[in-house]
Amino acid sequence: MIEVRDLVYEYPTKRALEGVSLSVPAQTIVALVGPNGAGKTTLLRCLAALEPPYSGTVTIDGMDTREHPREIHARLGYLPDFYGLYDELTVRRCLTYAAWSHGLAAGGVDPAVTKAAARVGLLDRLESKAGELSRGLRQRLGIGQAIVHEPKALLLDEPAAGLDPQARRDLSGLLTSLRDAGMTLVVSSHILAELEDYCSEMIIIENGRIVGGRPIKVKDVERPRYLIEIATARADFAQFLKDAGVDVVEVDEHHALITFTRNAAARAKLLRDLVAAGFEVSSFGESSKALEEAYFSQIGRGAA
Amino acid sequence: MMGPEFRRNLWLELTTRRIVFMVGILALVFFAAAVSGPSYTPYSAAETIYYLIAVIWGARNAGLSIVGEIRDHTWDLQRLSSISASEMIWGKLFGSTIYNWFGGAICLAVMLVYGFTHGTPVSAILDLIYYVIVGLVAQASALLASLIAIRRRSAHSRLDVFLYQFAGIAAALAVFYLWQAADPASAILLGKKSTDVINWWGAVISARPFLLISLALFTAWLLTGCYREMRRELKMRNGPLVWLGFLTFMGIYVAGFDAWLPHNSNLPQWSIVALRLALATTAYGVLTYVMVLLEPKDRVLYRWYGSQIASGAVGPAFWNLQAWLMSYAAMVIVALALIWWLFAQHAGAAYSALTFAGLGFLTRDVSIFVFFAATRRRGDFAAIVTLIALYALIPAILDGLGVKAALPLFYPTPSNPVWLGPAIVWGEAVAAVIAAISRVALAGKRVPSASLRS
Repeated sequence: MIEVRDLVYEYPTKRALEGVSLSVPAQTIVALVGPNGAGKTTLLRCLAALEPPYSGTVTIDGMDTREHPREIHARLGYLPDFYGLYDELTVRRCLTYAAWSHGLAAGGVDPAVTKAAARVGLLDRLESKAGELSRGLRQRLGIGQAIVHEPKALLLDEPAAGLDPQARRDLSGLLTSLRDAGMTLVVSSHILAELEDYCSEMIIIENGRIVGGRPIKVKDVERPRYLIEIATARADFAQFLKDAGVDVVEVDEHHALITFTRNAAARAKLLRDLVAAGFEVSSFGESSKALEEAYFSQIGRGAA
Repeated sequence: MMGPEFRRNLWLELTTRRIVFMVGILALVFFAAAVSGPSYTPYSAAETIYYLIAVIWGARNAGLSIVGEIRDHTWDLQRLSSISASEMIWGKLFGSTIYNWFGGAICLAVMLVYGFTHGTPVSAILDLIYYVIVGLVAQASALLASLIAIRRRSAHSRLDVFLYQFAGIAAALAVFYLWQAADPASAILLGKKSTDVINWWGAVISARPFLLISLALFTAWLLTGCYREMRRELKMRNGPLVWLGFLTFMGIYVAGFDAWLPHNSNLPQWSIVALRLALATTAYGVLTYVMVLLEPKDRVLYRWYGSQIASGAVGPAFWNLQAWLMSYAAMVIVALALIWWLFAQHAGAAYSALTFAGLGFLTRDVSIFVFFAATRRRGDFAAIVTLIALYALIPAILDGLGVKAALPLFYPTPSNPVWLGPAIVWGEAVAAVIAAISRVALAGKRVPSASLRS
């Protein structure tokens, strides 16, 4: 759905993206994470065909952003980190304007407005002015405006910023439902814990490059993440796991973060093999903060 | 016509309360004017209020129409819509000012009725067209100024909006002045005699129709400029053809005013041709300076030009040429044609040398703009200060010290031998070009920064 190849973007005084390549399959939710100033927003704006690449290509639904920016705009929904609403307009009018501006046919506007309002839980607020909404409800309206035309891809820049826990949980549910409805989502966020609830892959950006050169799988129901700790450091730990056919996310001489089958017998066998090979296994369990661990293990290591 | 942006503006601007307020206030003003005596009529009240509502306030609203969206963080939502550039311009230009036009239309109706009852229908209709154009020019100029500023990534403070409004009011004042100058009834304005005929390309034409047609044409170009800037904002490609068309129009239009230059009735035919070429050269020179100042000197784009040309892809580079580069090229072509013409007519080397020197100064000056803008945020300011020093301060000092022989270094002036001046200037120009290109190229060799704006 989204393909980026060797993307370079320059501001007049700085190079913001340096050879970024990534691929986002359809109907997935991919998280963009990284420190402030890493290039996340710039990358999202390049994906939205708002900034033309200096070199490299960005294709959305098979169309190049440089060649077909307006066609891509029609297929996209985008919620910037600092977004605004027309405070003097009612929720209904905000959504109606968004529907009009995306070229929906006259007969399709009202149903689209109702559907978008229902999706974001604003059906009971249609006659409220946007300026009177709470932060969480404004966030929902912003997303409602971005999805009213049923875009194929939705780009969200820090959508959870400033939301209370309940609003964050609602947002998580909303994003999952949009993915299930057929949309492809790219979400930039600082809040790693929540990304695990709805993201399938995480892309770490640092200094304008993708750390590790590829996305990190966030969650796999069939193959969850496990953290293995050994009491005594062993230099051959990584090689052993590799030979055992284990999918290693991160490894050092003491720890390994792996994805492995949920099958209990297979896990028992792996544990047996480790012990048999002389590894002093002190811990072997499903990782509860796997994403956070993966992030911090990657950040600062330099980009590929 | 009723695009989404226009309809949204109707929701916000034309509320029942505001309509009633406008009608009530205007009715009170006209009634007060009608009963206050002969010195102040409903016509004069309508005219004054029209300028206030449609020109001054309208220019502000037009200047704010996009800047306000940027300030309120709604501009990206609009840019990512399916609204076409023409719909967006219509919605911004006439939607954001719909309340001004509502009030302005009431004033125009009063003036039209007064014009029909106190003058000729033709005069009333000409006046009506003038008032509509002056309002449109003010608002379109303010909108264009804001679009140009957005392209330069300028700030969007109240001061900026005031500057866009000021640009609109200044354009309206120019229209006002021209209209008054061509009014036989207003004998003298600002010390200049009015005229009822204009000599253009040797033809004597009635001033008011000529001015109205000229204003209509320039308004059309103004709206075209807004449309193209909006296309750029919506990430659509513009191409060079429209600007080349504008350059052609300007060259032909300005060259027709040779009769306004002094003593031309005594000149031989070849001199008139030279004068027309000189006028076109001057027009292109002015456009080059204006555009090099207004356009962003984007070194990323310039490096891209370089990489395209180096790889033999001249077509894409040409298709993305900035307006100042095209204006500069047009000036070079017409200036060389003028030099050739002067040589062919044995007009003497002095005029050719001065023209060639002028070309060198322009080359040097645009290179100075590019040089400073390549690495500085306020490069234009540094370039302007440098040019003031080069054209005014240093020559004044040298003149004061009696070193007049050095003056050809600083502005086109006759030298002895005649080609010494141009040779010196072109030496400066080549040095400035090399410095600018080097700076743009070297800026691209920087290592990516570790702390980038996300």
